[in-house]
Amino acid sequence: MEPLLLKNTDQPNSADLAEYQRIGGYRALKKALEMSPAEVIEEVVTSGLQGRGGAGFPTGKKWEFAVRATGSPKYLINNADEGEPGTFKDRYLMEKNPHLVIEGMVIASHALGAQKGYIYLRHEYPTAGARLERAMEEALNHGFLGDSICGTSVNFDLEIFRGAGAYICGEETALIDSMEGKRGQPRLKPPFPVNAGLWGKPTIVNNVETLACVPIIVDIGGAAFAEIGTPASPGPKLYCLSGSVNRPGLYEAPMGTSLRELIYEYAGGMRNGHRLKAVIPGGLSTPVLPAEATDCAMDFASLVEAGSALGSAGVIVMDDTVCMVRVARRAAHFYEVESCGKCVPCREGTGWLEKVLSRIENGNAEMKDLDLLQDISDAIYGNCFCPLGDSAAEVVSAIFKHFRGEFEAHVKNGVCDLEA
Amino acid sequence: MSEETKNITVAINGKEVEVSPKTTILRAAREAGYSIPSLCDYELLAPIGACRMCLVEVEGMQRLQTSCTLLPVNGMEVTTESDVLTKARRDVLELLLINHPLDCPFCDKSGECDLQDMVLKYGPSIGRYTEQKRNIPSSYEDPLLATNMERCIACERCVRMCDEVQGVSALTMVGRGEETRMEPFSLESWDCEYCGNCLPACPVGAILSTVQMHNYRPWQMNREVDTVCGHCGVGCQLVVQVRDEQIARIDSRTSLGINRGLLCSLGRFGHEYVGAEERLGSPMIRRDGELEECSWEEVIAFVADRLTAVKEQHGGEAIAGIASPRCSNEENYLFQKFLRVGCGSNSIDSLSRLGLAAARRVFEDLLGSGALANELSAIDACDGILVVGGDPTVVNPILGLSIRQAAGAGARVGILGRASGLDRVRAVSMAPGVERETAVLETLLAEVAKERGFSDERVEKAMDSLRETHRAPESPEEGLADLRDLLRSAATLAIVVGPELVQRPDGHRALAALAGLAHCLQARLYLQAEGANEQGLVDVGCEPDRLPGGIPVADQAHRQRLEGLWGGSVPVEPGLSLMEIIEAAGTKIRALYVMGENPVFKLPKSSLVRKALESLDLLVVQDIFLNETAKLAHVVLPAQAWTERDGTFTNIEHRIQRSPKAIAPRSGRADWQIVAEIAEAMGCPLAVAKVGEITQELATVSPLHAGLDAESLDDRGWLVRPPEERPPGESAAPPIALPLQEPTTNGVRLGVERLLFHAGTTSRHSPALLKICPEATAKLSVELASELDLEDGDRVRLSTAQGSVTVPVEIDASLTDHRVLLSNHFENAGVLGLLDYSLHPLTKAPALEASEVAITKVEAAEE
Repeated sequence: MEPLLLKNTDQPNSADLAEYQRIGGYRALKKALEMSPAEVIEEVVTSGLQGRGGAGFPTGKKWEFAVRATGSPKYLINNADEGEPGTFKDRYLMEKNPHLVIEGMVIASHALGAQKGYIYLRHEYPTAGARLERAMEEALNHGFLGDSICGTSVNFDLEIFRGAGAYICGEETALIDSMEGKRGQPRLKPPFPVNAGLWGKPTIVNNVETLACVPIIVDIGGAAFAEIGTPASPGPKLYCLSGSVNRPGLYEAPMGTSLRELIYEYAGGMRNGHRLKAVIPGGLSTPVLPAEATDCAMDFASLVEAGSALGSAGVIVMDDTVCMVRVARRAAHFYEVESCGKCVPCREGTGWLEKVLSRIENGNAEMKDLDLLQDISDAIYGNCFCPLGDSAAEVVSAIFKHFRGEFEAHVKNGVCDLEA
Repeated sequence: MSEETKNITVAINGKEVEVSPKTTILRAAREAGYSIPSLCDYELLAPIGACRMCLVEVEGMQRLQTSCTLLPVNGMEVTTESDVLTKARRDVLELLLINHPLDCPFCDKSGECDLQDMVLKYGPSIGRYTEQKRNIPSSYEDPLLATNMERCIACERCVRMCDEVQGVSALTMVGRGEETRMEPFSLESWDCEYCGNCLPACPVGAILSTVQMHNYRPWQMNREVDTVCGHCGVGCQLVVQVRDEQIARIDSRTSLGINRGLLCSLGRFGHEYVGAEERLGSPMIRRDGELEECSWEEVIAFVADRLTAVKEQHGGEAIAGIASPRCSNEENYLFQKFLRVGCGSNSIDSLSRLGLAAARRVFEDLLGSGALANELSAIDACDGILVVGGDPTVVNPILGLSIRQAAGAGARVGILGRASGLDRVRAVSMAPGVERETAVLETLLAEVAKERGFSDERVEKAMDSLRETHRAPESPEEGLADLRDLLRSAATLAIVVGPELVQRPDGHRALAALAGLAHCLQARLYLQAEGANEQGLVDVGCEPDRLPGGIPVADQAHRQRLEGLWGGSVPVEPGLSLMEIIEAAGTKIRALYVMGENPVFKLPKSSLVRKALESLDLLVVQDIFLNETAKLAHVVLPAQAWTERDGTFTNIEHRIQRSPKAIAPRSGRADWQIVAEIAEAMGCPLAVAKVGEITQELATVSPLHAGLDAESLDDRGWLVRPPEERPPGESAAPPIALPLQEPTTNGVRLGVERLLFHAGTTSRHSPALLKICPEATAKLSVELASELDLEDGDRVRLSTAQGSVTVPVEIDASLTDHRVLLSNHFENAGVLGLLDYSLHPLTKAPALEASEVAITKVEAAEE
């Protein structure tokens, strides 16, 4: 398919306003401003767009809730706190196509009646920040941002808010708490942010890629957008391929493209002729799939059926040189470090998981530790305040389930088979 | 608190219960008699669903639900105990014990630790964690609060308490993952209000008080007694825990009292004076200029003889008494009865003349007796609050908390003057200088009355002085318009009046203006009171012109009824008020009986007070300490302290609460008992053998107390409601305009500072309070300090025409005016003695003159 989200991004000056306008940029905005907010939302509903941050909630529905929410002002937050390991799609969009992101936000602000917007930018993305700032200035100078956008009465004030580095702040309520100067921890829901978010006001939090789809929907029409991909999961999708492939990188493909096609065609197949062993399909927080699952379509429903999730579409490919005990230990370490500390199972359990996995990896464990590992995962799973702890347990459990033999070998031999 | 409609039916363990839609399943289950374990849930705090102990099963829901965050819907079926839940809870506890040190044998929380109780109930009995536990050093840096963050289970209850309820935000959670723990922002010694409300909030032994460290275990307590705090006029309920007839600890429970278990530093840590070494032991009589110990028989006979002699020689009206807000209703009642029928004098008053008693009179005269019948809990429902005349967070801290919480719920708080404890929540503030505050209030009243079309008699009265002397502000004053908007826009307004207004030369006018505003805006009035029983002593008749029940002495029918009940005659003429007594000492007044009070230190112009008292034929001081006044006495009578004897107290909202005996008295006799014995020895028996009989008599004698039954009082007490509301008084003559003491020079003026960590002079004998606030300081603004070339800690001599004191300097950034502030708690460093006064003709309060003060730096060698 012709790239829509990554259109023109192979050009060195793709981030410039002039270049963006040359290929039709801000055409959608002008069109949207001639539409009523309700009409814009209707197009988004028709498009079937689902949130690209990971949860896949229908964007049109979220916007309808937001419009119904009472309270003023309304805030639009672009969640650019891309913290999921194995994910780099939002970074690429913001660095190479910042005007698309801004245009998406301005259209959204018109549709939602939000006059104030924030880009909650991951602190580790300085280049994206610089490109966005420059693009925002260009947009402001050309009347695409600020007061009286394109000569209409629509105003939208946009600001970048830089996160301080916590993974949990990618969760929308923790993100909002951190913007309020609080310790970033997930809030109790309800109330949901659409009703009471930033400073208690209605707040719409959308992912970068989700917002980048909006100008495309307005431009080609919701119905045409829905034609792309699968009926249940329409639209183009950015897939981040990393690990043991020949051409790791970011690829735009229709939603529902198979894992096999992504690995062997888009990413050029397995590196150095190694055999595919396992894939984490949607960023670290989605359960690992064994090599046999590669025919699975990469969309929300199909991956759930396969026992995993699309998540952020961060496809981490592992070959037969990779020690799965080590993968599990490193995953657990990530969650241990990133646990916000709010709820007990996640706060205490992730650290314990990591410690037991370290012992297994280092050959200092006994067979009963494998049962303990499963018990700890079970104690965490389903009992946490937010999905972070659940993910830790799920990810470790899935690796353990599919590759138990490797764990047992570590215990028995005191060393990794792959290294022996 | 209003009962919410219970219109939702849920089944808890098969039992159908009706609940309100806002009641969480956790609370609903507890009300229905099922206990669900929880660690992060706390009654006064919003739920956060963090500990995962309160999980329940809900029919139709796949995952276990945290009942603390779960709201009911019709038909919901909840199970609170099952094998699945027991396992889930055991799992959570096993995880919690990973890092929780198993140091129960030497943890002070042991025996009342929620975590300990839960592990006993749900297990596990053996942990499987074999790795290193986290290691965080304990902190004993703070004088009162010790932390052991290895024990912290990160429930955030302390942080939420400090933030949501106390409004101080001194604490925060730090660290991520298993390193998560609480830390005070100040790191070492805590920068906080030392309310200690985080202590009962902590479910484990992570925050403990050093006041009873290693000296408290629940099972070592002989008993616990619920009682009312004796420090200020709010009347908080608290729990006295007793070990070996000593107060081992003050505890609180969220279910108790109007304070809902919240206390302030004084309530929680200010009890040590009761057991202080320096408590008076045996009675003393002055012989050859020295106070000498003697027996009770001797002293009772001595006082009776001397009072009789004065009475015979000079008449009963030569005897006067000063009652005490630290004493109970019964004690104050008996005291005034003794003076009236035993001595034949109406000259009885109290230091409430400087505060609540005087302010109340102005309001009641203008608005009628019902004007001040407002419950504290009603502040929650106000959307506008005007604070004037002092900082409620200091004078009456729990009243201050109500204001902070109302502000948190959306009420707009306006401050006239200084109330730095409310700075974080105020919407509007205006500090025009004390000399200008009355003009501001009168301006507001004039505008509001005009706007609302009020021209009735009450407003007329309030505005009489205004017409004569009010000068409209020359230019629009900053903040005035905002304050006016706040008053105008509030649907339900509360006006909270501090004690400072009464003590000003134009205080009556400020109070009259506030009465007018309250009338026009239908505001709820709240008076702050520094003493615990200021309201009570007024109600039981400790005023020179009022009998028990607030009936004027001049009311002949009532007086005669009383004489019948009392079996003695009551003087017809009103007696002398507080400052009149002092001024007449040695002339018209020959004998003074001071019960539980310290006028030498707590009245202005101490040189005059001292001289006056020295010229008396007889000065009797009944107290628990040898205070400044007792040192001058001819006779010193050791009394009993708070918790050592029974009695009732009346708080600022007119609520009578019981203060039962909790410990054996360290020394002395109950105040009422001493009074009764002296009366008996004078041949005027008061016919009381125990305190309950006095309460009964009070209920018979005083229409305000009719129906009072001390035995039946619970933690909510008994609200005094006048049987019939008295209309605005006849005596409500237009407030007399006293010449305003406009500053004539640019000199620095001396003002009174009230301290959060001290109350009266008893707090001098509470080591915990002295640790957090050890000495008096001269507070001044940054500008003034630089003008005078002073730095923090420099010692300065403050001198007025009345005398001088030497104290260290404390620069206070919240001060803006050209004043130096000094407190009135510390020996040889009180502010009041340095101030001059003039007797206010209407309120009879000593109006403090804004004395000019000379400030000189004192080098260490000079001292």
